[in-house]
Amino acid sequence: MLFWENIRLALTSLKSNKMRSLLTMLGIIIGISSVIAIVTVGNSLTATLSDSMLSLGANNITVYLDRKEIKDETTEEGYVFQNTDGVQEVLDEDLITNDMIMEYKEKFPDEVYAVSATNDVLSNGVSSVGKKSAAVNLKGVSAGFFVEKSTKILAGRLFTAKEMLEGRKLALVSEKYVEKIYPSNEDAIGQDIVISGNGKDYTFTIAGVYEKSDSDMGMALLVGSFNSASDVYIPLKTAQDITHQKNYTNVSVVLKSGINPNEFSKETEKFFAGYYRTHRSFTVHAMSLASVTEQLENMMNKLTLGISVIAGIALLVGGIGVMNIMLVSITERTREIGTRKALGAPNSSIRTQFIVEAVVICLIGGLIGVMGGIGLGALAVKLMKGVATPSVSSIVVSLLFSMGIGVFFGYYPANKAAKMDPIEALRYE
Amino acid sequence: MEETRKKCIEITGVVKKYFIGTPNELAALDGVDIDVYEGEFLAIVGASGSGKSTLMNIIGALDRPTEGGYKLDGLDVTAANDDELSAIRNRKIGFVFQTYNLISKTSALKNVEMPMLYAGVPAKKRVERAKELLNDVGMGDRIKHLPEELSGGQKQRVAIARAMSNDPSIILADEPTGALDSKTGRLVMDIFHRLNKEQHKTVVLITHSPELAEECDRIISLKDGKVTGVRPGSGKAVGE
Repeated sequence: MLFWENIRLALTSLKSNKMRSLLTMLGIIIGISSVIAIVTVGNSLTATLSDSMLSLGANNITVYLDRKEIKDETTEEGYVFQNTDGVQEVLDEDLITNDMIMEYKEKFPDEVYAVSATNDVLSNGVSSVGKKSAAVNLKGVSAGFFVEKSTKILAGRLFTAKEMLEGRKLALVSEKYVEKIYPSNEDAIGQDIVISGNGKDYTFTIAGVYEKSDSDMGMALLVGSFNSASDVYIPLKTAQDITHQKNYTNVSVVLKSGINPNEFSKETEKFFAGYYRTHRSFTVHAMSLASVTEQLENMMNKLTLGISVIAGIALLVGGIGVMNIMLVSITERTREIGTRKALGAPNSSIRTQFIVEAVVICLIGGLIGVMGGIGLGALAVKLMKGVATPSVSSIVVSLLFSMGIGVFFGYYPANKAAKMDPIEALRYE
Repeated sequence: MEETRKKCIEITGVVKKYFIGTPNELAALDGVDIDVYEGEFLAIVGASGSGKSTLMNIIGALDRPTEGGYKLDGLDVTAANDDELSAIRNRKIGFVFQTYNLISKTSALKNVEMPMLYAGVPAKKRVERAKELLNDVGMGDRIKHLPEELSGGQKQRVAIARAMSNDPSIILADEPTGALDSKTGRLVMDIFHRLNKEQHKTVVLITHSPELAEECDRIISLKDGKVTGVRPGSGKAVGE
């Protein structure tokens, strides 16, 4: 029978049972809209994260201390336990040393542009001037750190090499800090900053004000918490004098342009791991931000897939709902089916009619779901202050999938209708 | 004289059994021979349980006989498969039911168009012919009405228009006035007479009403699945 006639019939049937049609569609609507919403959010999140990762410097390699894998051991009695003998507190002597970094730089002069190392003195300290105060983190940084972060100075200046080496009591503060304490960036230069924390006061002279970068926001989003405290940078040597810690749990390597961070991270790991070959508990891993981004995208994709599976279950339930309502509809319309058959409708026409009806239900549900999903996704993305990017492919796939559900779950009822005995069907009350 | 007329329906030795092979085996039709001639107005009468519904189903190509032969317009219906039976019902037979069986929520026009839809008639032609047929039965001003908005007599007139849509060889009417009052029943019977006289349609009327049967050219009586009598009727509508 004619295609458009079937569509018209299906729409007539849906219109005559509006509430029932809507309830039937609900499963499909929920399933499709959740898929679309999740994909939209996932896409935007991945895009945002990739952007901020790139602004952090995808060309960088992070080298960090890590525990060696603890292997399960089996006793003679068959008990499985983790041999934790080697696991212990991290001691200063276990950490990455300046000597290692020097040797590393010497070994790869053509690849390594700078090595950035930090020494955290204090987090969430308080700095007050008069009645005004601000929360700050105190961080000792190497010269390479400024290269790594592409730190931009708004007022004053960076530390000189001599000042770094001598461990002068100088500080770089964030513009966020200045906003809270001083009328302008220039006013802060040369002022003393007193930072209180851990029951001690630390005093430095402000040498410069740096611009707070967006990448920090991205990082905060990634970590999942906004730390309202701004970082105060002091020379690494100064920090080491305070903490008496000469070594690092992690360092960042800035590569010269043209060096593949993924490949060079392996070389780097090999180099540093060499120092730890015989170490009981620790080793060193190296990871490029590019690979982190890749991992993040992988993770997002897996998350999307996972939620899609759940949405798929919703769609399955929706499909069963469609099948159920089609069976009801066919029973109600037994006489109509009998009449159509008596008037010469072949079985195939009856089957097509009801499959088309099921497909139309699912497709309308799918369309509503797509619209709802885009709306929901956009709303969620807006709340996260991102840019919504609904994926066209997921919309197309969703609509095709909902049509597929219609065909799959419509076939059985439609076939049942097609196989009805016209005499029985005509006699049905 | 009858032998010179062309046979439209030839039923020979038709047996229809139900529950075959069980102790409840039942022969609804037990060796029925009926010939119907082209242009004839035939009545099949019988009490309920006489087998007239079964006979109607077989004549209407809704069912196949257990034994015996049935030819419609020279075509062996007993040898047809399901799709061929559908095609026979579609092109050769116009059904008129006691309960009208119009498709609900579908306009009179669409109802009349329906058999043509299954016959593959193009849309424009369908609408044209459906309007014409509805005009013929005096329903030309109600083509957009839904069955729910029509009276019983009006519904039956739409159903007759629908039965005529593919210009069938025979009109098979099963108690067409059974659900109507005598006045509207009269109106419907007059339409059958008109179709029979003016368009020379073969009409097979299945009824339990002796008065209606009297109006036909020929009356076949059924009892217990057997033909118990064939006699001529007046062939005239009451009041003619």
